[in-house]
Amino acid sequence: MRVDRRLLKNLDWALIAITLILIATGVVIVYSATRANPALTGGNPFAYARKQIIAAIIGIAMVIGLMTFDYHLSERGYYALYFLNLLLLIAVLLFGKEVNGAKSWFHIGPLGIQPSEFAKIFLILTLARHLSQKDSLSSFFDLISAFVHIGVPLLLILLQPDLGTAMVLVAILFGMLYLAGARPKHLGVIVLSVVAIVVVWALLSAFFGVPFPLKSYQIARLTAFVNPQKYYDGAGYNVIQSMTAVGSGRFLGKGLFNSTQGRLGFLPEHHTDFIFAIFGEEFGFLGCFLLLLGYLLLIWRGLKIAYQAKDLYGSLIAGGVVSMFLFHVLVNVGMNIGIMPITGIPLPFISAGGSSMMVNLVGVGLLLNVWSRRLKIMF
Amino acid sequence: MFGIYEKRRSITCRILIGVGVNSVAQTSITARRRAAVLLLGLTAVFLLLGLRLFYLQIIAGNRFQQEALDQRYRRIAVDPKRGAILDRNGRKLAISVHSDGVICNPREVTDPDAVAQLLGSILQTETAAIRKLLDKQAMYVWIKRRITPEQADQIRQNLSRLPGISVTVRSERSYPKEMLAAHLLGIAGIDNQGLEGLEKYYDEILRGTPGSDMAEFDTSGLHIPGGEKTYTPPIDGSNIVLTIDEFLQAMSERELDKAMQDTSSRRGLILMMDPRTGEILASALRPAFDPTNYNDFPSENRRNFMLTDQYEPGSTFKVFTTAAAIEEGAVTPETTFFDPGFIRVEDRNIHCWKAGGHGSQTFTEAVENSCNPVFASLSLKLGVDSFYRYLEAFGFGKTTGIDFPGEARGQLMNKKYVGPVELANIGFGQGISVTPLQMLTAVCAIANDGLLMQPYLIKEIHNPDGTVHTKNEPKAVRQVISEKTAATVRTLLESVVVNGSGNRAYLEGYRVAGKTGTAQKPKGGRYGEERIASFVGFAPADDPCIAMIVILDEPQTPIKYGGVLAGPVFGAVMHDALRYLQVLPRTAIGQSDTPGKNVTVPKLPGNLGDAQAALAKSGLSWRLIGSGGIVTDQFPKSGAAVKPGTQVLLYFSGREKMDGKGFVEVPDFSGLGVSEVNARLKALGLVLSATGGGTAHAQHPAAGTRLPIGARVQVSFRPQIND
Repeated sequence: MRVDRRLLKNLDWALIAITLILIATGVVIVYSATRANPALTGGNPFAYARKQIIAAIIGIAMVIGLMTFDYHLSERGYYALYFLNLLLLIAVLLFGKEVNGAKSWFHIGPLGIQPSEFAKIFLILTLARHLSQKDSLSSFFDLISAFVHIGVPLLLILLQPDLGTAMVLVAILFGMLYLAGARPKHLGVIVLSVVAIVVVWALLSAFFGVPFPLKSYQIARLTAFVNPQKYYDGAGYNVIQSMTAVGSGRFLGKGLFNSTQGRLGFLPEHHTDFIFAIFGEEFGFLGCFLLLLGYLLLIWRGLKIAYQAKDLYGSLIAGGVVSMFLFHVLVNVGMNIGIMPITGIPLPFISAGGSSMMVNLVGVGLLLNVWSRRLKIMF
Repeated sequence: MFGIYEKRRSITCRILIGVGVNSVAQTSITARRRAAVLLLGLTAVFLLLGLRLFYLQIIAGNRFQQEALDQRYRRIAVDPKRGAILDRNGRKLAISVHSDGVICNPREVTDPDAVAQLLGSILQTETAAIRKLLDKQAMYVWIKRRITPEQADQIRQNLSRLPGISVTVRSERSYPKEMLAAHLLGIAGIDNQGLEGLEKYYDEILRGTPGSDMAEFDTSGLHIPGGEKTYTPPIDGSNIVLTIDEFLQAMSERELDKAMQDTSSRRGLILMMDPRTGEILASALRPAFDPTNYNDFPSENRRNFMLTDQYEPGSTFKVFTTAAAIEEGAVTPETTFFDPGFIRVEDRNIHCWKAGGHGSQTFTEAVENSCNPVFASLSLKLGVDSFYRYLEAFGFGKTTGIDFPGEARGQLMNKKYVGPVELANIGFGQGISVTPLQMLTAVCAIANDGLLMQPYLIKEIHNPDGTVHTKNEPKAVRQVISEKTAATVRTLLESVVVNGSGNRAYLEGYRVAGKTGTAQKPKGGRYGEERIASFVGFAPADDPCIAMIVILDEPQTPIKYGGVLAGPVFGAVMHDALRYLQVLPRTAIGQSDTPGKNVTVPKLPGNLGDAQAALAKSGLSWRLIGSGGIVTDQFPKSGAAVKPGTQVLLYFSGREKMDGKGFVEVPDFSGLGVSEVNARLKALGLVLSATGGGTAHAQHPAAGTRLPIGARVQVSFRPQIND
């Protein structure tokens, strides 16, 4: 128990406080968004809020459990973790339940588990180990192993298909490569080449009928935000509705429970991907500003932990978690306010969803773990 | 190991990330530096998000708010109740009633075929037509605007099988007195908008302000039962109180209908005014129309020709020549004239209507005889300027300013073109056009001691809560002639009724003044065969409270004189009107001069023309009951001694009084006076059993019942009080 007490002393209480405030905000806003929708809640207005609380409690229990282990333990279980992840991703493709055309879910009793969500954690841990063991990242070829490391599980996730999570993994990869010391020039060239390939491919597909891996509705979803009015009845509808909801909140918002756009069904997915629009409608510019400030503080704590970590392994874990949060927040908020493509990426701690909640908490757990073990003398 | 530059960079990073100098840091320098750079970069990105939010929520916030409101609120207009049109005593002439209608929200209709089927069977309309309506892309579609209460009940009972269908109450115009005063009231459209007549002229007052029902709808167009609702109640329209008296109007229309039937005239009119105030008391026009089903009538029937059309007044116009001449001292009632049957004006002979002329006569007699050369000489004596001054003062050639649309000005020939011939013609009412309203308004000035009043139709405007919004007061236009002249003219006009051409307007016990008119109708630039028979006058002659004009346009009878055709109508209406207004009978002049000078009713031959001639010879007037050329019966019977001027009722084969089995049909007596009812019952061979006094308001047996001759009919009367 001596270890525990020292750990407690070295906890990042600011990070914990921010996390709990975000979770509480999420529970309230999810309740607000779902309470008057019996089709969703099955008649119990608290159904979704309760799910969120349960997921948060399980997640917090997981954090506490993780704290007792040194994060370096995962360094030793590197291969085990990596292949467990691959196994889960293959298993979900084989035995998973198809929901909305994607095989992303396992159902164990009442609990739905999304292996791709947990893949983020597994890959942050294993990639951190992989990159921290590398002698050099200065050459372009040094990066290949890292891309393969992420590439294999990423392909499995694309097969589900779960484009959103795949993109999160790419963001994590780039964030961690950057922190680990890869040359920004190299990373920039890769990003530009990918963009160039996609553009050329798209042009070939448009003019010469070369098959494109995305279906037309997916392309529409991704590009609709540029000119939503053009796609009013289709992909643009969500963007217009979420902007209307956010905009109509004006400075102070309509007040808690007073959102109308979601309650009346104008805004679909208003408890998951578009929960930010409901938040913006109810709490206005002031609320949005404070919420973004909260996320900024969360990410700042994460980067501070990366900065002060005991070793590069710890830094990279923290960096991976920060990349994950950052990407989620930017893309989700961005699509809610019409400056990012629509992708199924939830807002951390706020969007309804058990797996997402648990994974995000585990991420916070990893940050706390790295932070509390930053001092070599302690051990 | 570190250069000075490196050290500085390291410190910058520490500050950025917020790490104290003393704190330990073991990870790679690159990682540390890049963590700091990352923080800097993402703070900038967050700032961009903040800017975007600022744009959406602060700059464009109001626009998005409006869009959100527009999305979920649908405004349903709530009709205000259109104001009522009431007669001077508050009796309802036009009201708004609630009626049921069926509306549909097509988006809520799940099975349009079944709904159309069921609705079709309830409403008894074609299923296909309803089916089409259910496909409309709108929030509200009228299935049927007017349904019966039974149909509404049936739909309400089947609402569970009719999703999206609802029964709604809408306001609809109703004219409880049907065709009464239709020309004044005009018509209102299906959306309660005034289209013609007073309904149009006062539409803004009657219409009210629509309210709104803001109902919240969800994305699928379904109404949210518990949703927010903002109800703005409509402001009902104001009520209009007319100067018209419903009963006087009904009397006028009843008598006009009779006259139209008897004379087969193309058009007919009775206009009644209170000469003291200019209030229009009744305005009956034929042919008429039903304002509820106005489409069933020719649109020509809706023309309110009492003020839109002008006619050549003929002899009735001599009233004003008389007034001007007396006022100017050009003539007195005692002045004597000699009429050889014509008057020579310039190179022309203007003939009297009576061949051979009237010979030597006083001016009073000339008025009684309506002698054209006398009036021609008077206007010539007055001269254009003087005569025109009076005509203009009486209001001819100008609109009266009545509060009703479409008034014509009439035509007063430009003075420049009026030579002696024209002036002579105007003197007896030719070569000038007036509207019936102008004519009556001018006559009112004579009845009203020479003071011309502006005619008006709206007495008051009441707010929806019943309080008075506007009250129109009588408006004097000008003093046209002196009080004394007016009194002299009245006496002259009274003698027209007592001794002259107006004797068929004579009423026992009342002093009636009036003037007959028989104008030739110009056709294709020449005077043709058609006539306008008119009678204008007022009563009681010494203290007039009613002025009236009766015009029959193109009567199809053998005799077309105004005195013969319009006079009796005037008398009949005036008789009932005076009793209704509780003007007590008094002895008229002339009557007291000729006490006991009773005449015997002759035995009348079957031919109408001969019968009329015989009656005229005896100094009796008549009223035609029914139609046809053969008189089948008369009342009073031949041999009865009656006062001169008494009306003899002539019955025609068109409506035989008795069927083969000795039964007669009981007429409708409502609104008639005791003596009138008694006369009619007697004529039918029935016996009156009267209770009360005044006008009939109930009878037993009901009208239309067939009774044997000699049976008793109970009629109860009650006084009509102007409340």
